Amino acid sequence: MANDLDPWLPGGHGHPGGHKRRDFLRLAGVTTVASAATIFAACGSDDGESAKTTTSEAAREGDATVLNAVLDLEYLAIAAYTAGAPLLKGDMLRLSREFLGQERQHAAALERAITRLGGTANKAKSETEYRRGFPRLRTQDDVLRFALDLEQTAIAAYAGAIPKLSARELRQSATAINANEAEHVSVLLGALGKPQVPAAFVTGTRS
Amino acid sequence: MSAAGLERSRREVVGLGIAAGATALAASTAAPLLTVSDAFAQADDDASIVEAAIGLEQQAVLAYTAAAKGDKLGRGSGRLFARQEQEHADVLIAALKDLGGTAPERPSNPREIPGLAEAAAGSQDDFARFAIEFETATVQAYYEATARLKDPKLLSAAVSIMANEAQHLVVLRQAIGQNPSPHAFVTGQGE
Repeated sequence: MANDLDPWLPGGHGHPGGHKRRDFLRLAGVTTVASAATIFAACGSDDGESAKTTTSEAAREGDATVLNAVLDLEYLAIAAYTAGAPLLKGDMLRLSREFLGQERQHAAALERAITRLGGTANKAKSETEYRRGFPRLRTQDDVLRFALDLEQTAIAAYAGAIPKLSARELRQSATAINANEAEHVSVLLGALGKPQVPAAFVTGTRS
Repeated sequence: MSAAGLERSRREVVGLGIAAGATALAASTAAPLLTVSDAFAQADDDASIVEAAIGLEQQAVLAYTAAAKGDKLGRGSGRLFARQEQEHADVLIAALKDLGGTAPERPSNPREIPGLAEAAAGSQDDFARFAIEFETATVQAYYEATARLKDPKLLSAAVSIMANEAQHLVVLRQAIGQNPSPHAFVTGQGE
């Protein structure tokens, strides 16, 4: 998934770990955020009042498409934290329950936003469907590594989605969620014994 | 430092960042009392927002450099965070030059940042609490900026920097035994 980072931003081009990310996106059922960019590009002309109205409607539709893409990833994260919980202990069990609650809040907020835009929020798949695509989880570290990959994927998706959202309040909400996913990444990295803040620019690139 | 003192320092720090960063705002005598949110609400173009953000990043560099010298953050976090804040500042300065602006002057004396000298002279916990306030204010600034920035590339940069500041907050909160990720929506407001 392209990220459209500024050329003067270090490490802004390309995303290592793309193969695994594509697998997650398939598992989540994500229709790429890039497709929404095409919608925006197609309705760039706003000559005259009727064209402006059309652009506004198309923009809302585009925003709903972008939000549905990240909503799919929130559903995936909810399924992953739910599936991994039995293997977690102590602080990580407590924190993962908090993270699960936060992912649910993200999903609920996205569903509401999509509905307000006049769109239809995607539905989550069944737990069985998600688990069929998960890697084998045998230990706490397996769960943490899997969760880390999913969180990084979500950050990359939000980073790609935010500039494509036309409504400023939606950009803000998505940014607030993105920063929360970045917090999760730092906690998971620490639990895995890795540097918790490996890069000055958090784009979902594998660390 | 008391909670009220920290909140006062946060407002003052934010005010200083505005004064240092945004020419239009520097003239305001009310600047020290403004919140970050106010600052970015008043910055009406990308250059003004970027200039204000550079001011905050430069203060953060100074603060974490002071922390590193006094070993106020464990495991090299002070040096790491100072380096990352400098990377933010460098990128923003390059962007501001592209927009035809000039970077604000860097602060050099810790006393220029209200609360920093006291935090740097205190315990590790004191410094972590000061840094949490500072980072929270910075997160709020970027959160506000994402609603106002017009250039999508600048918006992407702001989003990625804000996420990094949120990660700094995780380390700082863990250092003093706080919940590392207390809110599902990270806005820097009401935290």
